[in-house]
Amino acid sequence: MANTKRYWSGLDELQETEAFKTIQEQEFPGAQSVDEFLTDDRLESTHTGRRDFLKFMGFSLTAATLVACETPVIKSIPYTNKPEEITPGVANHYASTYYDGQDYVNVLVKTREGRPIFVKSNAQTGVGRVNARVNASVLSLYDSARLTAPQVDGADSDWATVDQRVSTAMAKEGRKVLLTNTVLSPSLKRAIATTGLEHVQYDAIDYSAFVKASEMNFGVATFPSFKFDAATAIVTIGADFLGTFGDSVYYAENWAKNRKPENGSMSRMHAFETNMSLTGSNSDYRTMVKPSEQGKVATALLQAITGQGGSSSLPEAVQAAVASAAQDLKKAGSKGLVLAGSNELDVQRVVNAINSALGSVGTTVTYDGTDLFKGSAGAVQSLTADMQNGGIEMLIIADCNPAYDAPDADKFVAALAKVNTTVSTSMFNDETASRCSIIAPTHHWLESWGDLAIDRYRIDLVQPTISPLHASRGWGESLLTWTGNAVDWYTFVRQTHASDYTSEAMYTNADWNKSVHNGFLGWNEQVPETPAYRSEGVADAVGRLNSQVGGTFELALYQKTTMGAGQHAANPMLQETPDPLTKVTWDNYVTMSHADVDAMGLNGFIGQEKPASVVKVTLNGASLELPVFPMPGQAPGTIGIALGYGRGANGETIGKAAFQTGENGSFLTDSEGQMVPVGKNVHPWMNVSQGMSHTHQFDVQVESTGGEYALACTQIQNTFMGRDSIVKETDFTSFFAERNADKGEASWNKVIKLAVHEDVNGDGIINAQDAKPAEAFDLWHEHAVENVGHRWGMAIDLTTCTGCSACVTACHIENNVPVVGKDEVRRHRDMHWMRIDRFFASDYSLERGEEEGESVIGTYRKMEDPSGNPQTVHMPMMCQHCNHAPCETVCPVAATTHSNEGLNQMTYNRCIGTRYCANNCPYKVRRFNWFNYPGYKKFANFNPAQDSLMRMVLNPDVTVRSRGVMEKCSMCVQRLQAGKLEAKKVGAPLVDGSVVTACAEACPTHAITFGDLNDTKSSARLTSENNRAYHALEEVGVKPNIFYMTKVRNVEPTQA
Amino acid sequence: MQKEAAIREPLILGDKSYKDITDDVVGPIEGPAPIGWKIMITISSIVAVYGVGSILYLLGTGIGVWGLNKTVGWAWDITNFVWWVGIGHAGTLISAVLLLFRQKWRMAINRSAEAMTIFAVIMAAIFPGIHMGRIWVSYWVLPLPNQFGSLWVNFNSPLLWDVFAISTYFSVSLVFWYIGLIPDFATIRDRMTKPLSKKIYGLLSFGWSGRAKHWNRFEEVSLVLAGIATPLVFSVHSIVSMDFATSIVPGWHTTIFPPYFVSGAVFSGFAMVQTLLLIMRKGMKLENYIHVKHVEYMNIVIIVTGSIVGVAYLTELFISWYSGVEYESYAFINRFSGPYSWAYWIMMTCNVISPQLFWFKKIRRSLIATFVLSIVVNIGMWFERYVIIVTSVHRDYDPSSWGEFHPTSVDVGVFIGTLGIFFTLFLGFARFFPVLALNELKTILKSSGENFKKKQANH
Repeated sequence: MANTKRYWSGLDELQETEAFKTIQEQEFPGAQSVDEFLTDDRLESTHTGRRDFLKFMGFSLTAATLVACETPVIKSIPYTNKPEEITPGVANHYASTYYDGQDYVNVLVKTREGRPIFVKSNAQTGVGRVNARVNASVLSLYDSARLTAPQVDGADSDWATVDQRVSTAMAKEGRKVLLTNTVLSPSLKRAIATTGLEHVQYDAIDYSAFVKASEMNFGVATFPSFKFDAATAIVTIGADFLGTFGDSVYYAENWAKNRKPENGSMSRMHAFETNMSLTGSNSDYRTMVKPSEQGKVATALLQAITGQGGSSSLPEAVQAAVASAAQDLKKAGSKGLVLAGSNELDVQRVVNAINSALGSVGTTVTYDGTDLFKGSAGAVQSLTADMQNGGIEMLIIADCNPAYDAPDADKFVAALAKVNTTVSTSMFNDETASRCSIIAPTHHWLESWGDLAIDRYRIDLVQPTISPLHASRGWGESLLTWTGNAVDWYTFVRQTHASDYTSEAMYTNADWNKSVHNGFLGWNEQVPETPAYRSEGVADAVGRLNSQVGGTFELALYQKTTMGAGQHAANPMLQETPDPLTKVTWDNYVTMSHADVDAMGLNGFIGQEKPASVVKVTLNGASLELPVFPMPGQAPGTIGIALGYGRGANGETIGKAAFQTGENGSFLTDSEGQMVPVGKNVHPWMNVSQGMSHTHQFDVQVESTGGEYALACTQIQNTFMGRDSIVKETDFTSFFAERNADKGEASWNKVIKLAVHEDVNGDGIINAQDAKPAEAFDLWHEHAVENVGHRWGMAIDLTTCTGCSACVTACHIENNVPVVGKDEVRRHRDMHWMRIDRFFASDYSLERGEEEGESVIGTYRKMEDPSGNPQTVHMPMMCQHCNHAPCETVCPVAATTHSNEGLNQMTYNRCIGTRYCANNCPYKVRRFNWFNYPGYKKFANFNPAQDSLMRMVLNPDVTVRSRGVMEKCSMCVQRLQAGKLEAKKVGAPLVDGSVVTACAEACPTHAITFGDLNDTKSSARLTSENNRAYHALEEVGVKPNIFYMTKVRNVEPTQA
Repeated sequence: MQKEAAIREPLILGDKSYKDITDDVVGPIEGPAPIGWKIMITISSIVAVYGVGSILYLLGTGIGVWGLNKTVGWAWDITNFVWWVGIGHAGTLISAVLLLFRQKWRMAINRSAEAMTIFAVIMAAIFPGIHMGRIWVSYWVLPLPNQFGSLWVNFNSPLLWDVFAISTYFSVSLVFWYIGLIPDFATIRDRMTKPLSKKIYGLLSFGWSGRAKHWNRFEEVSLVLAGIATPLVFSVHSIVSMDFATSIVPGWHTTIFPPYFVSGAVFSGFAMVQTLLLIMRKGMKLENYIHVKHVEYMNIVIIVTGSIVGVAYLTELFISWYSGVEYESYAFINRFSGPYSWAYWIMMTCNVISPQLFWFKKIRRSLIATFVLSIVVNIGMWFERYVIIVTSVHRDYDPSSWGEFHPTSVDVGVFIGTLGIFFTLFLGFARFFPVLALNELKTILKSSGENFKKKQANH
């Protein structure tokens, strides 16, 4: 049927009048020329009132103003040809390997839109666990201080000029030397071999005594491999193997395998050390010894086990500790492990003697040829001497910074001037590069291809995750170019492993592609060999060690867990990550025992406005002024100073974060206008003798200068004031006795009950015994999260948490947590979402106060003081995602609310910044944006978000918060959402372990278990039901989704 | 006409007629500004400008310019807020509660006390505003219809109750004060000779003509407003105290807070009234209207409320021990023996010990002593809030986060600045407004005036 309906807009249209037709023909009816309009006489009779005039004027003004407010245009350029594997918004992960001369670990690199933004352990196909240093190292890729082009004689140049200059020098007669750290790459080794350069290796931290002792005692010149998972008794003499010693990325995970009380047994660890180290703080028995006594502890152990250690003069308490350690070692037999951190040949030989006497060689310590630490301090010393004599024509320096960390660095610097051609391949114009005539900057490891072989068992691969940001070139390729063998480095690497490789096979070799995907190339079965022990020279070593004596003060240099030997000095995130023991950021300092601090009249408490006292430390005539941190557990009569600081002392451009900034954020300068580096360099104080360099000095002078210096600590309170609902701990024997107790019943994890006014126990009397568990009290309605959908939660095992802070940096990078600098940290304004509370034990308790008749006030005051050699608890603390969150009820605008997945979520957009939530948080985990960190000038010199290049490291999935809003742990909600979407796409329920928070993922010891508490089979749920699980501050009744696991120490019951 | 016993001390001294009262009150407004006033307003406005500058710097840079930190999220900001709100209590108490109780002596002081209230509440209102991280979205605390997916405020939050309590209190106080001013403005209007002033006061007086009907309505409205204002006197500070009482912070979580805060507020309010009036009566020669008897009455209020506050302090201490809660008892032990014990002992001395001196009649009736003690009380009450806020949060549950608070120059600048703004406003009030409720005073001239009392005695 035809449609006869007709629509019309007015009678004129219906009737089709003439007037309507004319109007309809004109597109703009009533158009009139301006002349016509202005000459219209009728205009004069019209009237524009005052009000109309004002209205028009107001409108025009507003319109004009609004036009002036131009919205900034941020251009985003779409892919013209989208790379096949990149989907904007979806992360890609690439397997690679990290090696910086100290840490060697298989990693996965997360990239977003082609930018590497996160480095984590390659848990599936790799070995080793990423630590805080490796984790944060991704920032160095984007350091704006990196050289953008090669330099010749201090000026920017180009590669042609550089190649020409170096090739000419190469062709000259005379000794030509390549100085590197320990080279592990087969391709680099092959490249070096083709050049005919003399190759000298040294390591920033020298381990040559270990290698030499292995050679002498076992005939294998190698750094020992320690198998902590096989050890049931561990004695460490100053080796901080959980923090920085040796190949530490492998140790923590293995060590933790024997620290799970549920297994029915735990390894027992004795630590004899000078400084309070991460390892010592995690040991069961810790004994303070001076550096000069460390060797004697080794000989005394040898004496106790074999009777060949001679007699020494150890204090009685140390002797008793040695006896107890020896007893445990004997009990463990071949499962005992002794290691010493000192790079003294004598000490290592004695340690080898003990281990072989125990029969542990081959079980807990093996000598199967790791290639790590092949450098030698002696080699660089003789090189320096040769340079000084003018015997070196040319020196190429790669992957090391000898002007800063070589033994006798000042001599090296002086000798460098005598070398005709000096070439540095540093990425930065650093201490060494700035003194070289030519700088040929190498790639960052995230930009380069490579291969690495830590031992003869496997070859790991390094693959680029971004094309080089600057005009850099890998130094292996440079070497080849300079010797006239120019070949593409990728081809060269491939040819190292398959000599018949040609570029046609680039994409077709499935095996290679799989290897790149997995991050390793070859994998040979390990063939443990037990080399025969030769007790060469042990008796002499014992004699020498037993006669070591120290002065009034002895010095033990150490590396901070967060900083290493100095290669990360310009990394703002690592600078801001507090040292796990002192909780100091952005500085190195002298650690001194409280007894010595008091005796010298120095400041014993460092607070916001209570600066540290400055002392002058003198060694062999050279002196340094450093602030003093009163350190519980520091052996009296000793001091410790961290290596790795004082980089860029001559204003070298190694990165902005390496320099101190003042209260307004501008760089501090000294009297000569030079920028002041963070901390002081103590590498020159390494004890170098017989071509080996170690960290002990047996006689230093310490005197007070009367000066003061502010230190920035994230935690100023040392003890937990007997608040055992925060920290629960017990000893292994007590644990074992009640290992099958129901949750909440064991004496070491009793549920907290609150007394009520009703007859709960039915004895007819209402008294203090009538109590209900804290969980039974509810002021608010329950959030419906239990058994509905997901309920995210965590269980954190205080027994295996070592305090290493890998979780802190992982969280920092994952969540774009702002770096706020020293001055703000000092003002207690650090922004870490994830922090690790470090509690030292106190000698005093309320019970003891009562026994001794001390007043309550006096008791509490004494409880604030830590013991001289305290037990330590490391307690990771982040938002507890309370189901009755006190922060949620007090927010006037409902900016923080509870999700139906049990998350306490923070809506930045809605936050008006009253900080009421932070005040009301019993765990004090909320962090306020006091300033506009991504924009305010105070943070310009260290906040990554303010650096146009380093900004690239920010995680695009996480908002960069503006000033005035509160922030806190979100339980990596961006990861949870992504994981749920993945599961939705697959159409299957979320699998336990498929989503994991950054902290849980980073934890080397797997102390953090994350998962869905509503999933009855999830490991988080199972862990939370363990009888060691408890809620911190349970009696407050906030019902957190985070559980802690009672800390179990493997000590005798009386000492828990 | 109301009769009053002759032995009662007169409230208006000297041989005053109705015209004298008008002259005494309106005279200073008509005459040129005295030199003393000029000096004072210059000083106070310079301080005010410094304060405004500090506030602008704060708003431009961020809350970080204050000394707050991750542990201590509130310090001087909320201390100042509570202090100013407390001061703002006396005015309404005097005008409303004393009106309902027919205390005639209030007439000499209510006008300035109410002005003080208004200005103090304005000063108080500055702090919740500027303490916010994002003041530009502060209107989100109002339950306004909106386009954010109709996002509503959180009625559980005591801060929201604060918003309602303070705004209600401010508006009722303002209306009450203004209603009282209307007849007096009319009196000024009638005496003004300059056309501009006449016009302004004419506008301000809302066409008051002094008819019986006007007076009748005036009385009724006053009574109604007094009825509304009276509960507000108690509600405002009760609600302010709930910011703390409903939290879980040991030292804040205390049910005693509402009455304790209200009496503390009255205590500090009267002290501030004393401080201001003792200067004003001297400067404006109002000794005949505000004299020793008035001061004595107010000192009695100060003893009573001061003692209540003292009892509250001791109760808190007792309960913290009696509760057996470790955190609670430590919070109070830390208060009097910890790093901020100096603040606690300043508070105890100023608030508990010093007002007890008023038991001595000599001191109670000494103007100098009263002036000194009123300032001491104000200092003490500031420290009370500081002690409650800072010493509670700086060491609460988790010892790892125990910290310190150190004020910065901006903290000080903003606080001093509000004092400057307050005194500038108050001096402006003293110069341009009738500082005594002159028409109300006239109603008691024939019952409580000295000359009439004498006449009465002579009969």
